[in-house]
Amino acid sequence: MKAGNGIKVIVTMIGLDGHTTGGEVVSMILRDAGFEVVYLGVNQTPQMIIDAAIQEDVDVIGISSHASNYEQIEELVGLARANELDDMLIVVGGNIPREPAAQLLAKGVHKIFLPGSSGATIVDYLASESRGAKARAVA
Amino acid sequence: MKRETDYGYAIKPVYTPADVAGLDYEKDLGHPGAFPYTRGYHESGYRTRMWTQRMTAGLGSSVQANGVLKKYREMGQRGGMCVISDRVFSMCIDPDHPLGRKEAGILGWPGCSLLEFEELMDGIPLTGQSITLLGSSAPTVMRLAYVVALAHKRGIDPSDVHGSVMESPFENYFGQTDVQPFDLNLKLWLDASEYVVRNKIRMRSSVISQHFQESGGNNAQAIAVVLSMYKELCGKLVRERGLDFDDAALVPYELVSIGTRFFEEVAKVRALRRMWARIAKEEFGAKTEKACQLLIAVHTSGRTMTYQQPLNNIARCAIQSLAGAMVGCTAMDNATMDNAYAEPSALAARMSLNTQHIVAHETGVADVVDPLAGSFFVEALTNEVEQEAGKILKQIDDMGGLIAAIDKGYIQEMLRDEANRKFIEMDRKERLIVGVNHLEIPPEDDFEIPIQKLHPGDSEAIAERMAAWKPTRDQDVLKAKIQQLYTDAQKGDRFNLMPSIVEAVEAYATSGEVIGTIRKARGLNYDPFNVIDCPFTLH
Repeated sequence: MKAGNGIKVIVTMIGLDGHTTGGEVVSMILRDAGFEVVYLGVNQTPQMIIDAAIQEDVDVIGISSHASNYEQIEELVGLARANELDDMLIVVGGNIPREPAAQLLAKGVHKIFLPGSSGATIVDYLASESRGAKARAVA
Repeated sequence: MKRETDYGYAIKPVYTPADVAGLDYEKDLGHPGAFPYTRGYHESGYRTRMWTQRMTAGLGSSVQANGVLKKYREMGQRGGMCVISDRVFSMCIDPDHPLGRKEAGILGWPGCSLLEFEELMDGIPLTGQSITLLGSSAPTVMRLAYVVALAHKRGIDPSDVHGSVMESPFENYFGQTDVQPFDLNLKLWLDASEYVVRNKIRMRSSVISQHFQESGGNNAQAIAVVLSMYKELCGKLVRERGLDFDDAALVPYELVSIGTRFFEEVAKVRALRRMWARIAKEEFGAKTEKACQLLIAVHTSGRTMTYQQPLNNIARCAIQSLAGAMVGCTAMDNATMDNAYAEPSALAARMSLNTQHIVAHETGVADVVDPLAGSFFVEALTNEVEQEAGKILKQIDDMGGLIAAIDKGYIQEMLRDEANRKFIEMDRKERLIVGVNHLEIPPEDDFEIPIQKLHPGDSEAIAERMAAWKPTRDQDVLKAKIQQLYTDAQKGDRFNLMPSIVEAVEAYATSGEVIGTIRKARGLNYDPFNVIDCPFTLH
């Protein structure tokens, strides 16, 4: 069994961020590690991402961020709360300066993967912290 | 650790004459200024004309970006200016669009109307320096119309303005997506290119390998992909728009991404010049020397600017700038030490511009043309990257050209595989990056640099200003020009829309309105995001 088996993850850009390379590389790493990846791609509003998360019943939303549009990530966290998606992880990867990174964590983003994060770091975190992983441990 | 080129050829411990056996100086290199231009286009290189040293600007409002441009001029940037657009203008929606108001002015200049361009250029000359406006492909027609309209307003002949404000339709596939369909981007690009050629406006279009390479592509792939772009686009200008190849070949310019693998970067540009010269002559029958000379600007690689230990980026930028100078570029703009954090701070911008000035004036590199020519290693690398690029180019040709190769998903897959491979190499420490996977330090020990801060209210202010300004325009003139554009846009792909776009822009039609109207005429939604309705009654 692979680390990611049974765990479903959305990988997406948010807002008008058109930089896709990071999200595509991470999708490949997660798929190789056994995760089920729902890749939403570009031009996704916070509401669209939440709708997809509910419809697909995912364990994790992963935002690939390269556009400084952090307010929309905060909006996403607010929408997740409003929809009572409390056991779903929201993680962000990208080149986020320290100050906005600290602010995103304070607003409820669960984890930020800064540049230099290895594939193993991302896989290990999601494999141990997500709802799917916890359900798997109980089963 | 891997000792091979980024396209996977082994690198030997020492190179000898045997590695360049068969190299014919006249045929394969030629003197600087002589075919096949491996050694560059000018006999005396930078002694005749120094490369244009510039920094990219664009953040916050147009008035703020204007302040930055003026600051750069004070720092010695006189040869040319370079402004990058925000994501809102790149998408051809307006700042007062519900999606636009969250990101206006965040990653660049919010240039959605002629008013914004007038504010950007306030007190800055339109001639005597090259005007470069970057963004995505569809707003090519807007950026060109701004230049023409402002020239008219200032009483300048548009043909006296030079620079580059156009962008190829292919960038959409290479890590910098925009929302417009490819066929629309291609049509608008052909319109703009035909317009500048027929009106003798010295505006170029970026048709570049930079986005492809910054998204993870290797050197050989980058050469092959960009050459296939020229073949596709120049071919269309000749076949579909009736231009002479010798004129069409003057439209594109290449922005090459220069990374830290010094010798490979120098070899890449030399090979690219030689390959284009031969294609222009042998495949397109170029009659003029100019048509065989691909204009090459350098962007030192933003991808190599690390988040960790950002001061290390100063060293990387210096090495890359030296390589950029070695290859005989026309213009150079640098990534900055804070590239992984934000748009350049004043400190980082000065540092990067000064890096270029140090390379230009202190190292002596500008005294001699193509100083690495004849190096066994560099000539062997030049041959190898040409050979590998040639193989990929042939595959693309065999598929029917770049558009066909993209339709088949071939290029996207090639880029994705290469980006993945690069990440894995780094993850396994087969390639070392100081501060990232080698000699790391804990984040709390890392040094802090000043970061250009974003002000959350700025986007909203830009949006509010546009919403309040729109009704103050002469509505009758605006509606008439938009209607004319709508009518013209239904006349088929080969009907050139530039004249009616220029008139609409002169009536202060915005980017969202111009592109939205063209979209509607083509049977698409006015709004690419399908959130707002067309504000005009069109018939």
